[in-house]
Amino acid sequence: MSVTRRWSAGRILVILILALAAVISVFPFYWMIVGTTLNPNDVLRGILVPGRDFVSNWLQAVKNYNLPLFFFNSLKIAVLTVVFGLVVNGLAAFGFEKYPSKARDKVFGVLLLTLIIPQIALVIPMFRMFAFFDLLNTHAAIILPSIMSVFIIFFMRQNFKMFPTEIMEAARVDGAGEFSIFVRIVTPSMQATYASAAIYLFLGQWNSYLWPLITILTDTKKTLPIAMASMMNAYTIEYGALMVIVCISVLPVLVLFLSMQKQFVAGLLGSVK
Amino acid sequence: MEKRGIYQRYLNRFGWFCVAPAMAFFTLFMLYPILSSLYYVTRRWKGMSNTFIGLGNFVRMAHDTIFQDALAHNFFFLVIQVPLMIFLALMLATLLNQGIKRFRGAVRLAIFLPAVTSLVVVSVLFRVLLQTNGLLNNIMIQAHLITTPIGWLTDAFWAKITIILAMTWRWTGYNMVFFLVGLQSIDTEIYEAAEVDGASKVRQFFTITIPLLVPVILFSAVTSTSGTMQLFDEPNILTWQGGPANATMTAALYIYRQAFFVNADFGYATAMSYVVVLISGIFAFVQMRLLGERRAK
Repeated sequence: MSVTRRWSAGRILVILILALAAVISVFPFYWMIVGTTLNPNDVLRGILVPGRDFVSNWLQAVKNYNLPLFFFNSLKIAVLTVVFGLVVNGLAAFGFEKYPSKARDKVFGVLLLTLIIPQIALVIPMFRMFAFFDLLNTHAAIILPSIMSVFIIFFMRQNFKMFPTEIMEAARVDGAGEFSIFVRIVTPSMQATYASAAIYLFLGQWNSYLWPLITILTDTKKTLPIAMASMMNAYTIEYGALMVIVCISVLPVLVLFLSMQKQFVAGLLGSVK
Repeated sequence: MEKRGIYQRYLNRFGWFCVAPAMAFFTLFMLYPILSSLYYVTRRWKGMSNTFIGLGNFVRMAHDTIFQDALAHNFFFLVIQVPLMIFLALMLATLLNQGIKRFRGAVRLAIFLPAVTSLVVVSVLFRVLLQTNGLLNNIMIQAHLITTPIGWLTDAFWAKITIILAMTWRWTGYNMVFFLVGLQSIDTEIYEAAEVDGASKVRQFFTITIPLLVPVILFSAVTSTSGTMQLFDEPNILTWQGGPANATMTAALYIYRQAFFVNADFGYATAMSYVVVLISGIFAFVQMRLLGERRAK
């Protein structure tokens, strides 16, 4: 047996396949970053070396397409969804897991059943409901329905299972109230769970398209996905400015992923455990 | 004794207090829409008014070839894309796990990267890349793979392939991560034993890896199936409103267009969404049963 690894045909094939997969996966990211520096024609043709139109593309995205406003709208909606979502779902998961009752388990079963219902089946009655309350074309219409997430409650409940009930018992003996046990003892030790849930909620809202597409009616209320999609409907598409907006829309998620890889993947994997 | 009962009731009440906010949201945005859809499904909209037509919406569906074609497109994407993607993800996970030691983390990161993009971004990027005079056609012509540009977005057949390409790019790395976690739970001794018995790597993949990963594969299949049944963003943006000429029209997109775009026929759209729920439910049930049987063994 030789110490150096052999460069067999099989090994080269493995490396080639993996390299190809990595290149195909990363290439569109490189291409869209380069695209922000090109004029529309060169974006389309697929020039792969940076051009000189970065500033003009950026200015166009900011002035003609209101990029800062769309970014702020998206951010506001996503952050509020995360904040309310963590409070509501975290508390519910805690209640379902740490205060066992037959009645609540039945309720939980009903919640789980609704996981298979596709969004498209809910948007019609929801649209009528928001129209009735005159809440169409508001950001509240986008935030409110995404706060409660059965998946997040399920995911957090799985994680609350790991929190030892003995610690809660000990705190009760020391005279702590149930709510302060939750806020002061349980929540701080479940930070990783909350981080994963936050990432999941943020992604879902930051990327959401169908429901905002239905509820948003005016330009100033648009989110980034809606803005990008409507740019694609224009007669002439400003590809340079489009690439700037695409990059801005991908960037926060990319930063989130690279800085919190573990929680990010845990958020995705939560349901397999 | 009495005191203990009071305390238990207090704890129970606190439990309800915890789940109450979530239940309120659930009632408003899940339960109420489901219940009120029972009303919509029996009615036909004409302008602002609507009339009761019983099961008429379902009768109409039987004659609506666009809707039937849309469902057929969903099945087409399902049958081609989900197995293709699961196979690719499994293969990449296995190669990453056994094939290389250096750069493993970097390659895994690279392949997962598409999962950070939204479906809207994927659709926008692929729509630009796959223009007739766009990057992919240019590269393929220069490499002498093709002589005339492929109509990725304009040809009825290629447009379907385009959707599959975009979905596969977006989701393969995502599913690969599930499989990598699954692979970690497989005892390496099994492979060593197979190695001693002279089984090739390819044989090991089909006789050890795949059978042991069946639960994860099924999980992946369940989530991908439900995603494919809801396919909306890609056909609406990438191939532009289910084009060319409805070649990539999906059920969700057609329902959306009937309710909010073409004509505000909420009753008919609701009835069609019932069919989608039913089909998704059947798929989920069958796949879960398969999963349950594996677990029971």
